[in-house]
Amino acid sequence: MSTVDWLLALHVTGAFFLVGGSVMAATLNVLALRSTVPSESAQLLRLIKTTVIVIGIGVVLTLVLGLWLVHRVGYSYGAFWVWAAIALWVIVNALGGIGGRHQERARELAERLAAEGDTPSDELRALLRDRRGNAMSYGAGLATLLILVLMIWKPGA
Amino acid sequence: MLATVRPHSWDLPLFLHVLGAMVLVGALATAALLAFAAWRRPGVSVYGRAALWSLLVVGVPAYVVMRVGAQWTYSKEGFTGKDDPTWIGIGFMAADFGLLLLLATTGVAFWWQRSGKIAAARTVSVLSSVYLILLAVAWFAMSAK
Repeated sequence: MSTVDWLLALHVTGAFFLVGGSVMAATLNVLALRSTVPSESAQLLRLIKTTVIVIGIGVVLTLVLGLWLVHRVGYSYGAFWVWAAIALWVIVNALGGIGGRHQERARELAERLAAEGDTPSDELRALLRDRRGNAMSYGAGLATLLILVLMIWKPGA
Repeated sequence: MLATVRPHSWDLPLFLHVLGAMVLVGALATAALLAFAAWRRPGVSVYGRAALWSLLVVGVPAYVVMRVGAQWTYSKEGFTGKDDPTWIGIGFMAADFGLLLLLATTGVAFWWQRSGKIAAARTVSVLSSVYLILLAVAWFAMSAK
């Protein structure tokens, strides 16, 4: 295998970590929303911490190896698909960070409610269904999907 | 470089194949995470329900998208089954043996959700981990070719 083959395989591995980890976080978030008692929501939201590690590995691998590949293969950093992907990568991180903090607040509330009797709570339900918080996470997911579109179609290459 | 050797008519099937595979990995990793969490907290019933939901609602549709995308890409690229490259064989093996693994994992997750038995959770963690390793081998072989 050549250096480019290795870089491409590891870059794709990073993409699997990024998208796979995002799917994990989204699935656990949706399941926490569907749970009937705070203790169940807390158990599921607690696991999102592990997915953040998976996403973090993906975020680093995709950017570092992606930039290395652009240099090594001889693509232009000014090509639309390259700079647009970098801009989307920044958006993914910003939106994902805000969405993650919202999920963290929901986890803290769910754990407190679980310790105080574990009865269904309108406050927790409202926080889990908060449009702004969820929009940030879904926006990060959409931006990730757009990066994948750019990587496959490579407009402007 | 890849864009110059791959016609744009292959892009949509390839996108579906890759997206399906990535979502499938996410669904399996979720089931594995829940099953491993159950090793430490065997009394938490939501883990079994969540693992089954992840496999049935996310994993199985993702598998279908991945497999349809794979076959579509395969036909676009003009392979015939005769003298196909090794990475194609690895991909087919991961897809076809993987279907058995996915169905078996989903079945055991159903048993786990119904019975709450820790043996079922442990089986889900092993099966989903084996399939994840198989998929990792496939994506590595297919991207490096």
